[in-house]
Amino acid sequence: MTTQFKVLERNHPRVDAYDKVTGRATYASDVYLPGMLACKLLPSTRNHARIVRLDTSKAASHPGVRCVITGTDFPDIRFGSGALRDRYIMPREVVNFVGEPIAAVAADDEATALEAIELIEVEYEDLPSVVNPLSAMGTGAATVHPELEDYEGYGFTLGHNVSTLLDADRGDVDQAFKDADAVVEDVYRSQGINQGFLEPMACVADVEPNGRLVVYASTQGPYQIRASLAGVLEIPVSRIRVVAMELGGGFGAKLRLTFEAFPALLAMKTGRPVKLVNTREEVFTMNGPRLPVTNYIRSGVMRDGTIVAREAYTIFDVGAYLGAGPNSGIGHGIGAYRVPNYRLRSYGVYTNKIYVGSYRASGVADMTFAVESHMDRIAHELGLDPYDLRVKNALREGDVSVSGAVVPTNGLMETLEAIKEKIDWPRDLEDGHGLGLALCEWRSGSGPSTAAISVNDDGTVSLLTGSVDISGSDTSLAAIAAEALGIPMEKVVVAKRDTDLAPYTGQSGGSRIVYSQGTAVQRAAEDIVQKLMALAADRLGVPEDALGCEDGRVYVMDNEPQGLTFTQLAAASITSRGGPIIGTASLSSMPYTPVFAAQAAEVKVDRETGQVRVLRYIQAQDVGTAINPMAVEGQLDGGVVQGIGRALTEDQQFDPETGAVRNPSFASYLMPLAMDLPESEIVLINVPAPDGPFGARAVAEPPGFGPPAAIANAVYDAVGVRVKELPLSGERVLAALNGQNADIDFDVEALRRAEGIAAD
Amino acid sequence: MARFDYLEPHSVDEALGMLEKHGTAARLVAGSTDFLVRWRTGFWRPEVVVCMQHVPGLDRIDFNDDDGLSIGAMVTVQDIEQSDTVRARYPALAAGATAFAGVQVRNLATVVGNICNASPAGDTLPALLAHDAQCRIVSSSGERWLPLTEVFVGPGQTALAAGEIMTELRLPTPAPNSGGLYIKHSPRGAMDISAVGVASVVSIGPDGAFSSVRIALGAVAPTPMRAPGAEGRLVGQPPTDQNIAEAARLAAQAARPIADVRSGAEYRREIAQVLTERTLRHAAATAVGGATDFEDIRRLAVQTAW
Repeated sequence: MTTQFKVLERNHPRVDAYDKVTGRATYASDVYLPGMLACKLLPSTRNHARIVRLDTSKAASHPGVRCVITGTDFPDIRFGSGALRDRYIMPREVVNFVGEPIAAVAADDEATALEAIELIEVEYEDLPSVVNPLSAMGTGAATVHPELEDYEGYGFTLGHNVSTLLDADRGDVDQAFKDADAVVEDVYRSQGINQGFLEPMACVADVEPNGRLVVYASTQGPYQIRASLAGVLEIPVSRIRVVAMELGGGFGAKLRLTFEAFPALLAMKTGRPVKLVNTREEVFTMNGPRLPVTNYIRSGVMRDGTIVAREAYTIFDVGAYLGAGPNSGIGHGIGAYRVPNYRLRSYGVYTNKIYVGSYRASGVADMTFAVESHMDRIAHELGLDPYDLRVKNALREGDVSVSGAVVPTNGLMETLEAIKEKIDWPRDLEDGHGLGLALCEWRSGSGPSTAAISVNDDGTVSLLTGSVDISGSDTSLAAIAAEALGIPMEKVVVAKRDTDLAPYTGQSGGSRIVYSQGTAVQRAAEDIVQKLMALAADRLGVPEDALGCEDGRVYVMDNEPQGLTFTQLAAASITSRGGPIIGTASLSSMPYTPVFAAQAAEVKVDRETGQVRVLRYIQAQDVGTAINPMAVEGQLDGGVVQGIGRALTEDQQFDPETGAVRNPSFASYLMPLAMDLPESEIVLINVPAPDGPFGARAVAEPPGFGPPAAIANAVYDAVGVRVKELPLSGERVLAALNGQNADIDFDVEALRRAEGIAAD
Repeated sequence: MARFDYLEPHSVDEALGMLEKHGTAARLVAGSTDFLVRWRTGFWRPEVVVCMQHVPGLDRIDFNDDDGLSIGAMVTVQDIEQSDTVRARYPALAAGATAFAGVQVRNLATVVGNICNASPAGDTLPALLAHDAQCRIVSSSGERWLPLTEVFVGPGQTALAAGEIMTELRLPTPAPNSGGLYIKHSPRGAMDISAVGVASVVSIGPDGAFSSVRIALGAVAPTPMRAPGAEGRLVGQPPTDQNIAEAARLAAQAARPIADVRSGAEYRREIAQVLTERTLRHAAATAVGGATDFEDIRRLAVQTAW
């Protein structure tokens, strides 16, 4: 690849690669402090019940047990992870899902803590419960949160158990449907999904001699959990220090407070460090996964394939609490297409099961499955080629997105053309084989971002950023700093995250680090360059505007040999008049920059067992400038693997009566393995973003959106059956092949009526 | 994670003495791959664990034409998967072994342990049934031989009495012109528990008809099971598509599947029929056409979507 850059658009191994492959990287569970206690949790066995008696006396007097806490040991303050303050960090009176922690023990070791957990006596009085979100919206259903209307932030009155309702409207939808040549209507359903990160939640809490709480955490958002801890423990933010350890995967599950408050309170009560390392079963049953989504989608189309109207009603099951905003999928009801008239509704509905969490662009993969399956349905109804239909309706520069922002220059068309060529679409295939497409869209993540870079006297720089490294983002930030400063990567030291040391920043999530945090790093580096130029002008005795700067050297433009290297300036800066040099930058938001990806699957369907095998999977994504191409490809690979899992085998199941997780282990929650996957085929499209560091776009989220629809579309192409529910298990595909493929019931009229929209 | 005492006998007799002393408080383990999982979840809480790892002489695989194949109690699934004798003469067992978990687990798990764990879904079990395995069971009062068909009593339950140890398996020498295969059906291509598994081992006589047929089904009943009705339908008949399809239908009828997180009951029955048909076709073809290369066996045993 030819490139204008010195550092970027070249492959750089991760700055932490050596530490990670040699086991030297330090994770939260690697923290050992003198006198440290082990913490274990007692889960609720009921999905909606009043706690009548919670007797911890036997546990507390068990030898080796130092402290037992329950919900009433915490201040009586409601806490929220999503739009509402709808929960207590530990239930005080009522449990809302099976697995909800209701007590925590700190003991000398883990085995003793477990023994103590078994000694806690609980008596429940069962309350009516509801598990199915569509039932929960009905008037006769049990009420999950009787005090919902009192919750801070609540503002929606449409429907029972509805936590949140988002809407987006444009044009005259009903008229557009009347004028359409054809109307296509579908209901899709996607399953519960676990984030499947390798490292379970873990943390160590300690109280420093001066009384400050220190939490060593496995988190994507150290500042965010600091704020939540301050809230639930009722202590000032300034009395808490969060040290973000290496993160062994999060994918959204560690954006917010998980269980850090339990060891924190136990540490405060005992004065000793307390460690909590969750088990895999606790990951599945206590920490929010994605929950099932039901999607009603209807389109009005003209004979030539032009989409003129879209209606989408999406029901997000949010479980017991809003562990994450459920509705980020709202704008994605129209996908990457220009649709002049639309009505989009997205409901978050409470049920008595584990609360919903975040996962790699929560909700958008569900929406993309519906929208992109629906696109193929439209094409087949009209007798058009699915590829041509997508090209015809795709967003172009200058179109207005759902958010109201104008779509800037982008590589959407190039991504479509790239996969068409690479998979050779359309093409005749042998029996049981099929091709399918999907188009994915996302936006580059924004939010508060900061960076501070200090220049060391040996010519290296220390980059201080509050962003936790996920997927190699430290390496990308170092590359951006090096490029902007004109120095090699090796001269950038990336400091570890600690809320006492680094400036405040947003969470590591939503495809925001490189795009937003990277911009802050670029600006901080430019701040340094300016200061170095001033210092050079002073030392060289020439005006600043007579100086040039290239490759880490400042020189006199009229006399190039006269100059100072970055290293010389760095050394000089320490004793200079202006003092040691620090560059800083901060920003609150970034302009709208879309990210588009086109994907294509080739599958084989076993007509006798219904099993689907993915033979090829191709993805083309417009990444703008690829900061570190090997890291970009890693992100794209990982996303597609997660998407193939979502399409074929992953399925977090819930008991229909109790809402309990039925498969809380990797032996029964099936993530794809190497044998289940095709070779990775990636095309990077590089249309530089108008904003973003050196033209980079966000990368992380879209790769995982496409596989469910692309594979479902390929299954249709292979054997002529349309499966509208995930995962596309052998059982489901075989049922469809046997003609037992029932449509999913969905009473859209009831939702329209509730809003006063007339039936047509 | 209940605490327990850990004992390491160095002979079968010593192990028998330990079992006698501790009775039902003791649990015997070989590779511990099932034990560790169930102990961690608290499902098993033995006070004493007797580990057979250090008993010498139990890790042998021997074969001769008269006695057939002998598999010691500490022979691992990986030993079986790697054995040239097994690959050449007991292809269904080689397929069952290669379909079993992943390499790390196979390196610890033993074939006899797989039997004693008595999971309906154990991947070596249908093949052992189809290869007509006999089990040597010893106790302080002597030894007895039991056909494997009589060992499985229920999910996780065997006919072994307290104080008994299974020390050896014998698989008779296959008749000339024999063939066999095990196919595992699971959503994932590796490291997965069978939703259904079927093994068929057949011999073709000089007349071109089936001279013996053994079909065994896994994960479709409380125990791994033979399908005698389907077997009887084929013996003496030529291996035509129609005969094989009819036998497969009978085998599926004999299944008593349940629904769980992996699969619905009816789907299991449908898959049992498909896999019976596929294993029989392959077994019949290789009985007369010669053995299959092991890499093909591996592919056939585990590949998703034929």
